[in-house]
Amino acid sequence: MKYNRNVIGNNIGFSTIVDEKFKTSSLTINFITPLTKETSALNSLAMRILTTTNSQYRTIADMCRKLSALYGASISSFTGKRGDVQVLGIKASWINNRYAIDGEDIRSEMLGIVKDCLFCPNAENGEFDAESFRIAKKETLDSIDAELNNKRGYAIQRASELAFEGEPAANPIYGTRTEAEAATSAAAFEAYQKLMKTAQIEMYYITAEDDDSVENTMKESFASVERDPVSVTFRAPSAIRSETAEKSETFDVRQCKMVLTFKTDTEDRFALKMLSLIFGETTVSKLFKIVREKMSLCYYCASRTVFQKGALMVDSGVERGNIEKARNAIIAQLDEIRKGNISDEEIESSLLSVDNALSQIGDTASSYANWFFERFCDNSPLETSEYFMDFKNVTKARIVQAANSLKLDSVYLMLDKEDNA
Amino acid sequence: MEKNIITSPRTGDKCVHVKHSSGLDIYICEMPGFSSVEALFGTKYGSVNTMFRQKGDKDYTVVPEGIAHFLEHKLFENEDCDVFELYAKTGASGNAFTSFDKTCYLFSCSKNYQESLRILLDFVQKPYFTQETVDKEQGIIGQEIQMTNDNPEWRVFFNMLRCMYHNHPVKIDIAGTKESIAQIDADLLYKCYYTFYNLNNMVLSIAGNIDADEVLAICDECLKTCDDKGLETVFPEEPDTIVEPEIYETQPVGTPIFHIGYKCSDCQGRERLVKSMAAATASTLLTDPSSEMYQKLLKEEVINSTFGAEVFNGDGYFTVIFSGESNEPQKVREALVNEVSRLLSEGINDDDFQRIKKSAYGMLVRELNNVEAVANMLINSHMDGCGPYDSLSVLSEQTKQDVENFMRSELLPDKLVLSVIEGEAD
Repeated sequence: MKYNRNVIGNNIGFSTIVDEKFKTSSLTINFITPLTKETSALNSLAMRILTTTNSQYRTIADMCRKLSALYGASISSFTGKRGDVQVLGIKASWINNRYAIDGEDIRSEMLGIVKDCLFCPNAENGEFDAESFRIAKKETLDSIDAELNNKRGYAIQRASELAFEGEPAANPIYGTRTEAEAATSAAAFEAYQKLMKTAQIEMYYITAEDDDSVENTMKESFASVERDPVSVTFRAPSAIRSETAEKSETFDVRQCKMVLTFKTDTEDRFALKMLSLIFGETTVSKLFKIVREKMSLCYYCASRTVFQKGALMVDSGVERGNIEKARNAIIAQLDEIRKGNISDEEIESSLLSVDNALSQIGDTASSYANWFFERFCDNSPLETSEYFMDFKNVTKARIVQAANSLKLDSVYLMLDKEDNA
Repeated sequence: MEKNIITSPRTGDKCVHVKHSSGLDIYICEMPGFSSVEALFGTKYGSVNTMFRQKGDKDYTVVPEGIAHFLEHKLFENEDCDVFELYAKTGASGNAFTSFDKTCYLFSCSKNYQESLRILLDFVQKPYFTQETVDKEQGIIGQEIQMTNDNPEWRVFFNMLRCMYHNHPVKIDIAGTKESIAQIDADLLYKCYYTFYNLNNMVLSIAGNIDADEVLAICDECLKTCDDKGLETVFPEEPDTIVEPEIYETQPVGTPIFHIGYKCSDCQGRERLVKSMAAATASTLLTDPSSEMYQKLLKEEVINSTFGAEVFNGDGYFTVIFSGESNEPQKVREALVNEVSRLLSEGINDDDFQRIKKSAYGMLVRELNNVEAVANMLINSHMDGCGPYDSLSVLSEQTKQDVENFMRSELLPDKLVLSVIEGEAD
């Protein structure tokens, strides 16, 4: 594997990863921008439109016809958040030319499509094409509405809103329904222009052979874009509440959800991650072995860190009658770690799972793109071996210290209607 | 033991197949340049296998719904420890799943695959059930059943199957019900285990950063020879008709979701692969965003980009399912019926057919790019009675006539079921 990153414009990075084992190529373009209530829905909407039509393929039908003729090549948008930052963009993927049955130059065709999507969108007079906008707006509204369909994800989103109340990270990924409903085609186009001008942009091109055509095309195209990048804060720890906040909502569900958000002021990210692994991220973690397997209190009970916000969340699916018991059991397992009851095996198995996960980076194009993007955001070492050493150097004392720094900030409950129980 | 090398003429990919002396079929795909390893050890035993007998048995044994899934959970416990603890020592990530027609135990890792493979082969061949551990598992699986009941995608799918199948156990939830799993005891688990976990009924597939000879040496070391006991599974007779044409359920969902399924006739082996690929092309033509139907429904805001299709089949069942989000799913159903009729009367456009085939070919090439997908493809193709790369050759031989024939004989309006999950009224 060969990795190379060049700065091709003002706050625009282009990374090329050459790995000959791949039968496909992919290009991911990340736009990094502050997450705000006013802009998140519009940004998401703009990205969605960019990948459905462009000035060459002016309808979804035309675009789809072209992509399927290119052996099912894909171009899609994504929207996500990372703490107080919105990360959104475009991802394109295609099979390499040597697999084209009829000898097509798939790469050149796809590069042309991506370039057109980004620099020549389907727009006139400062507005996106009306039909493309109407469809994208409905899709955005449907995505917002459909968040409730996934109960586990919905509970985590509601817990984030509670835990990070008043902070950007509380905003939902696609923005609010009100903001999306109020969006106009002109406002979405303005959001697109603003992203092109102000977002930090990081691109990842994963290819099986040396090829600078994509980088050169992007460099030339961005040269004509006026840039005035806005800096973002990748890490903004959330203030710890003096008293635990609690919120519950009732739905017609059979299984209740409980999300506990703990906050910390620790700067020791590797100790916090090791703590989370031992506490509730693996199948030999304390939450899995004790709360799920031994006590049979939850079907799932898992922890995750949100280091950007200085938080650790535990989410679980429980019966209403077991909520209090499960909450106490979860906290009791954290107390065990706080008291230093961590075995050498627990540390060793956590390290092995980190080592295994790091060693698998590079087996898919997306794992490369995610790895290098995360390192860019964290400003951390690019070598997985170096990253692993940061985990290996974590001592039991540091894990205990991280555990003792955690305070229960908020509790979100999705409750069933009592007559369902 | 003969090593049979199977090669894809189209892409040049290859794998090794061995019929091991123990009775096990083994598929190995070395993937140079990849770091990870994915292994699946599976038995042809899923939620639909509720009635069976072996050579010499006079009567069929009927077992409670959900027992294959229950057995999967219990096999993770050894007499002296939990299997997850063993994997924790190698760094592998272990898991398992039960589907309608198979149960698979798997691990993925990037280091120490040899030791992880020994763990996998060992624990799956070493059952240990006690009434105490069976009782405890009922609580965990009860929670799992509750959770899936809150999953609208799961509900809309099973509601559709219940309206489609009169008797076939495919309509049963994979995990069973709280009542059915309460009937499971240790003796029953042992009976199912020794019936279905016979190596003659099982497959091992492994792909990625491995050495085929090393894998085979570990298999020689760990596999215990099994006599083929002539397992016979049967299904109740299933009429061609559907049970009910539509079903509605209310759940807390932000957008209503639907499944529209055509009940098709079932078949086996390569014939099923040929039919399922014709069904896939037909359903892609119908849901293709460039099609007239799609454009019309999108314009009228009846569908959104979640609209799509899948082919779902196994022993004794075969359906084509159209799904998505819609406030007017009846309109989608009507449009589908009309579009099938139009395509059959006007004929499929040749350019569209070739384009969809190219797209399907691209998807199959992509699959070969991924260690996990390759390991799954190897085990699935064997259990379906086909070779690993048969999909590519079947696709290249597929004609427009095959697809039209499938649509004419199988996509019939009286075999259509509509299942909807609606939101609660405000």
